[in-house]
Amino acid sequence: MTAALSRKRLIPLLLLSVLVMTGCNGRQKTSKDFDKAVAPTPAAVQTPAQAPTQTAAAPASTEAVAAKPAAAPVAAVTQTAPAAPSADDYAETPYKPTPDPLYYWNKTWFKFNDLFYSGLMRPFAKGYAFVVPKQVRTGLTNAYQNFIFPIRFLNALLQLDFKKASKEFGRFMINSTLGIGGLVDVAKADPNLAPGNEDFGQTLGRWGVGDGFYIVWPLLGPSTARDTIGMAGDAAANPLTWIFGPWSIYGDDNPWYWSYIIKGGDVFNNLPNTLEAYDAVVKPAVDPYTAVKDAYIQYRRNAVSQ
Amino acid sequence: MHRFVSRLVLTLVLLAATVAGAQAGPATDTLSQSVDKIIALLADPAYKASDTRPAMRAKLIAAIGEIFDMKELSRRALGPEWNKFTPEQQERFVAAFGTLLENTYLDKIESYTDEKVQYLTEQDLGGGKAEVSTKVMGKGKEIPIAYRLTDRGGWKVYDVVIEGVSLVQNYRSQFGQLLMNESPDAVIAKISQKRS
Repeated sequence: MTAALSRKRLIPLLLLSVLVMTGCNGRQKTSKDFDKAVAPTPAAVQTPAQAPTQTAAAPASTEAVAAKPAAAPVAAVTQTAPAAPSADDYAETPYKPTPDPLYYWNKTWFKFNDLFYSGLMRPFAKGYAFVVPKQVRTGLTNAYQNFIFPIRFLNALLQLDFKKASKEFGRFMINSTLGIGGLVDVAKADPNLAPGNEDFGQTLGRWGVGDGFYIVWPLLGPSTARDTIGMAGDAAANPLTWIFGPWSIYGDDNPWYWSYIIKGGDVFNNLPNTLEAYDAVVKPAVDPYTAVKDAYIQYRRNAVSQ
Repeated sequence: MHRFVSRLVLTLVLLAATVAGAQAGPATDTLSQSVDKIIALLADPAYKASDTRPAMRAKLIAAIGEIFDMKELSRRALGPEWNKFTPEQQERFVAAFGTLLENTYLDKIESYTDEKVQYLTEQDLGGGKAEVSTKVMGKGKEIPIAYRLTDRGGWKVYDVVIEGVSLVQNYRSQFGQLLMNESPDAVIAKISQKRS
């Protein structure tokens, strides 16, 4: 009897300890986080192929920081030194441009997407943002992001970034419970549990896969060959695929199109924000097509390096 | 004895942490002073009043102009193409590009409400250059913005990196693309048209 009782208690106890450990884990790494804020920048200028070595070097220096904080500036400087070989060329050497062999296809779909989202859908997005309070929209985004937590968790693991994985796990546990099924991002209050954005494209980049070439997809927007493969990986890790896929065990009860309706709903819910970000790139641009392409590539390279 | 050692270590750690925090660096100092000045101008009630607004706006533009090195920014935005411009074209390019940036970003700056700027790190880029990482926090959003500054008799910004996207790099791609088919004069004209 007592044995059965302890076994019953064992699982909640385990869960609790995991929760506590992930929480503490995040908190202990304050100094490391600080150092990591320095690290991404030199990595950003490097090619993706070099990025793994950079990240591999980072833990070594963070340990030094944790043990001897006084050494922090020194460590940071030595780490950046190889990244900028000739100081005058910094940020001036044109980085390896991503080829654009499908220029005409891309430009056509860029124009189509621009007309569709920035033209046709903009009034709807504006109306939606006007009618639905921001808190509700953010809540829906939070809930969806919490729901697709497996994508980020799995990719953090695939990148062997256990700190990020534990962070994602901690966020999922806290937000699913205290955050009412993810509607409220409670975990964000802790700077060490800031939202992440790991995806399969970044995982491929982390292991040295380059951008490939630039491609614009109808409705989905800018991407690269690598990130397109990444999208397929993300779809495979998305719980929606498994709940509503044709192979799901409750096939008849869960029609396949629900997964697309939910994904489309998330895109529409975010459209006011997406358009804002889009405008920030396009409005000051002299050549909007190139501006969006470059912003996408830069954004993704930065995401891979982090 | 053990206790004494652990306390000593703790004190040293705390001391080191404070010292490291205080060592913000000269570029951060210059930048934060300038940002504070700009925020103070925007928070000034005179900015809201319609009669004093033009004067305040001129002050704001002057304050922004002080911290930005428009010539360096333009030179880098053109990259190697800069040398293909005649000095006269360079001058016109700097003016037109400056107005374009001013017009597009002034609205953004003026929409400032109560965002807080947090200065994270200053990184030496070598050759009298530094990168200051900041985080702008407001309305439940956090935007990482890094400023790259160069020291030429005072630190001045020559690039802004928002969410990992460098402004200069973004424009260099655009100008590079345009200059493949168009003359410098045509590109300058295009920039000038853009602002109207």
